[in-house]
Amino acid sequence: MPVTFHIPGALREFTVGRSRVEIEQAPKTLAEALSALFALYPGVRDRVVTEQGNVREHINIFIGEENVRYTGGLASSVSAECEISIVPAVSGG
Amino acid sequence: MIGQVLGHCRVVAKIGEGGMGVVYRAYDELLHRDVAVKVVKKDARLDMSASQRLLHEARASSSLAHPNICTIYEVGETDGELYIVMELVEGKSLAAMCSAVGLAPESVLRYGVQIASALARAHDRGIVHRDLKTANIVLTADGLVKVLDFGLAKQVGGSTFEGTTRSFASVEDASSVSGTLPYMAPEILRGDAADYRSDLWALGVVLYEAASGRLPFEGRTGFEISSAIMREIPKPLGPPVPPGLWAIIQRCLAKEPIQRYQRAGEVQAALEAVQSGGIVSATPSADPGAPTTTILHSVRHAHVRKGDFLLLLGTTKGAFILRSNAQRSRWEVGGPYFHGHNVYAMAYDARGGKHRIWASTASYWGTMLRSSDDFGKSWTNPQQAPIRFPSDAGVSLKNIWQITPGRPEEPDVLYCGVEPAALFETRDGGGTWSLVRGLFDHPHRPRWMPGNGGLALHTVLLDPSDKQRMYVAISAGGVYRTNDGGITWTAQNQGIRATTMPEKYPEFGQCVHKIAMHPAHPERLFLQSHWGLYRSDDCAESWFDIANGVPSDFGFAMVTHPRNPECVYIVPVESDVFRCAVDGRLRVYRTRNAGASWEPLMRGLPQKRAYETVLRDAMTADALDPVGIFFGTRSGQLFGSRDEGRTWQKILDGLPSVVCVRSALFEDTFAASAPSRPRAVPSPSPPSHQSKSRSKSKRRPKR
Repeated sequence: MPVTFHIPGALREFTVGRSRVEIEQAPKTLAEALSALFALYPGVRDRVVTEQGNVREHINIFIGEENVRYTGGLASSVSAECEISIVPAVSGG
Repeated sequence: MIGQVLGHCRVVAKIGEGGMGVVYRAYDELLHRDVAVKVVKKDARLDMSASQRLLHEARASSSLAHPNICTIYEVGETDGELYIVMELVEGKSLAAMCSAVGLAPESVLRYGVQIASALARAHDRGIVHRDLKTANIVLTADGLVKVLDFGLAKQVGGSTFEGTTRSFASVEDASSVSGTLPYMAPEILRGDAADYRSDLWALGVVLYEAASGRLPFEGRTGFEISSAIMREIPKPLGPPVPPGLWAIIQRCLAKEPIQRYQRAGEVQAALEAVQSGGIVSATPSADPGAPTTTILHSVRHAHVRKGDFLLLLGTTKGAFILRSNAQRSRWEVGGPYFHGHNVYAMAYDARGGKHRIWASTASYWGTMLRSSDDFGKSWTNPQQAPIRFPSDAGVSLKNIWQITPGRPEEPDVLYCGVEPAALFETRDGGGTWSLVRGLFDHPHRPRWMPGNGGLALHTVLLDPSDKQRMYVAISAGGVYRTNDGGITWTAQNQGIRATTMPEKYPEFGQCVHKIAMHPAHPERLFLQSHWGLYRSDDCAESWFDIANGVPSDFGFAMVTHPRNPECVYIVPVESDVFRCAVDGRLRVYRTRNAGASWEPLMRGLPQKRAYETVLRDAMTADALDPVGIFFGTRSGQLFGSRDEGRTWQKILDGLPSVVCVRSALFEDTFAASAPSRPRAVPSPSPPSHQSKSRSKSKRRPKR
C-alpha cells in the first residue's frame, strides 16, 4: 500500500491542487519518500527543504503523529501505508 | 532566381518552400559564408505597411544573438520582393524527428530546455514568435536546437501551406492572426492578440508532440481542431514520459494565459529541474488542471496605464503597488501581494522594453525571487528557488535584501544582495543566477558579523563610468569594491568608525547601513553607518565625516537626488538603542552641498510623538521634475513629497512595517521632460575636522 503525503494549502499550487499525494514506490525512509514526492511535484522541493537538503527551520514533518525532528529527521523510517504531514510550525511575528 | 545576387548574396540552390516564400541556399560574397535567403512570395501580396512591418520585425529579430535562434543577418528589398538573409541551418526539423511514439524523454527535455531558452531571449527583447511549431525547430547534426523564423509570422498572411497550417490573416489586415492551427493558443482563436504566453502554449504543444508523437488537439477539420483547443483537455501522457515533464506540459497548455507559466525562463528552469532530478517512473498526476496560484484573484490590482507613476512597497507582510500620474497626488492601491511574506526587496526594470517588477518573498517556505510583467496581476512562482547557494557553500539562503538591475547596456544583467551576506548575479534576465565567488570566498567573510537584522549584503552600487567597478555594503562587514567585474574584492572602509569593535578604525567589520552614489559623480559616495555619516570623493579609498548639523548621525535610509549630485536625503534616528525619530519629531534631512551642512524638512510631517523609524530601503527619490521623495515607516505609514522635500503629505497608514519603497514610471515620457544632465553645482571641499566637531559637539547624542 502506498505512503500518503498530506500537502498543506500553501503548497498545493505545486501539486496541481492535490491535498493528498500517494507514493507508489515503497520508500524506506522519509528522505526516499520526499524524493519520490519531489520527483512527482518538483515545485514542492525548495519550499520544504533548503538548498543544502535540510528541512526548513519553520517546517515540521510528521510521520503519523510523530514529529520527525525527534525520530531521526530525514532518516526516519517510513512504513507502508503511513501518512506523512507537512505543516508550518507555530511562530509569531 | 538561381544565380541572381540579392544584396551581396549569390543564390545557389532552392532549399524549400513555405507559406511565406521560397528559401534558397546562397553564398555571401562579401563575408564568404554560406547563408540561407528567404524570398517572400510575391503572391503573399504584402501591402506597403505590412512589408514595412516585416522589415522592422526582421531587423528587430536580427538583434537576437542566441545559440538556439537562427540568426537573421540582413533584410532587404529587390524589385519589390522582400528577402531575408539568415544563418544557414542544416539539420532535421523536429517535426521530421518525431516518430509515431515520440522521442525519448531525455531528448524532449534536452531540446525543450533549448527552445525555452531561445524564447526567453526573444521575449526579453519584446519579440514574440507567433508561429512556434515542430516544423520551425531544426536539430543540427551536433544536437543543437535552432528555432527559425522569430517574429516573422505575424506580418505575413496569405496562403495555406504544409497541410495543417491555416492562416486567418487577410492581406488587407496585417494585424489579424496567423500561425499554424494545431499550435494556436485559445486566446488567438478568440481573436485576442498573441503575446509571449501564446508562445508558451505553442511550446506546450511542441513538447507534447515531441514526447508522444501526436498533437494534443486533433481533428479532421479546422473547426474540430479549434474546438478541441478551446474546450478539450489533452490526453494524459504516462510512462515513459516523466510526471514532472507532463506537469510542465499541462501548465503550458492551461487555457487561460494567466494560468500558464508567465515566463519562458520558468519553463526552462522547470525542464532543467526534471532533467537534474533524473527520470523517475511514478504514477503521474491524473489532475488535468495546471497550477493556477500565480493569479491573485482576491487581490485588488492597480490599473496601470502608460504614463503612470508607481510606488512599489515591500512590507513585512506582503507587497503593494500604488499607482498615480505625474501629479502624484491621488493614489490607487494594488495588493497586498504575497500575503504574510516578508518583501524586503523590490525593483522596477524597464530596460530592453520590459516593464518588469521584481520582488523577493521570504516565509516559512523559503525565499523566492518573483517577477511580474503585468503590474502585479500575475507573478512568477518558480518551481525551483532561483537564488540558491551551491552545496559546497554550506549555507542556505535566508533573505534577499536587494535587487539591483544592471547597467542599461546590459539589460539581462541583475544583481541580488542576500542574507547570509553574498552577491548573486544573473546574465540572462533572471533565468539562472550564480553566486559571485570572488566575494563569497573573500578571506574576510568568516569574520563578518550579523547585525540586528542579520548578516546581509544590502546594497549594490554600479559605477556607470566603469563597467568593471561596483560596490557592495554589508552589515556588518563594511564596504567592498571590485575593479574587475567581481573577480576580486577589497575592503574600502578607511575612515569609517566601528562603534561596536575594540578597534575604532578596522579594515572591515563596520556596520554600514547604506551607501549611495550619484551617477554624475561616480567617484563620490555617501554612507550612512551605524553611527556616522560619511562621504568619499575617491571611489571609497577614504571616507570623511559629514555629520554637520544633524540631530543624530545614526540612521538607515539614504538617497541621492536624481539630478543634483550634491543633494542627499537621510532620516536620522535617535540612537542604536532607541531607533526612532529624534525627539519624536519625524524629520527628513537634506544636504545640498554634499554634506557640508544639512537642513531639516518637516512641513507636513508629524512633529509630536512620532516615534517612527525609516529603514534602509524604505525611502526613494523619483525621476520627475520636481523630484518626489517617498518613504515608509516601520509603523506602516507612507509619506511623500512632490516638491523635493519642502512639503510632505501622508499617503497611507495602517500598512504592515514598510521595509522597501521604490518608484517607477511605466514609460519615460516624464523623465524625458526632466533635465537629463545634472545641474552644475560646484563641489565643496571636505569640511574641516574643526568645524565638523564644533557643529556636532552639542547636537550629537552620547553613545
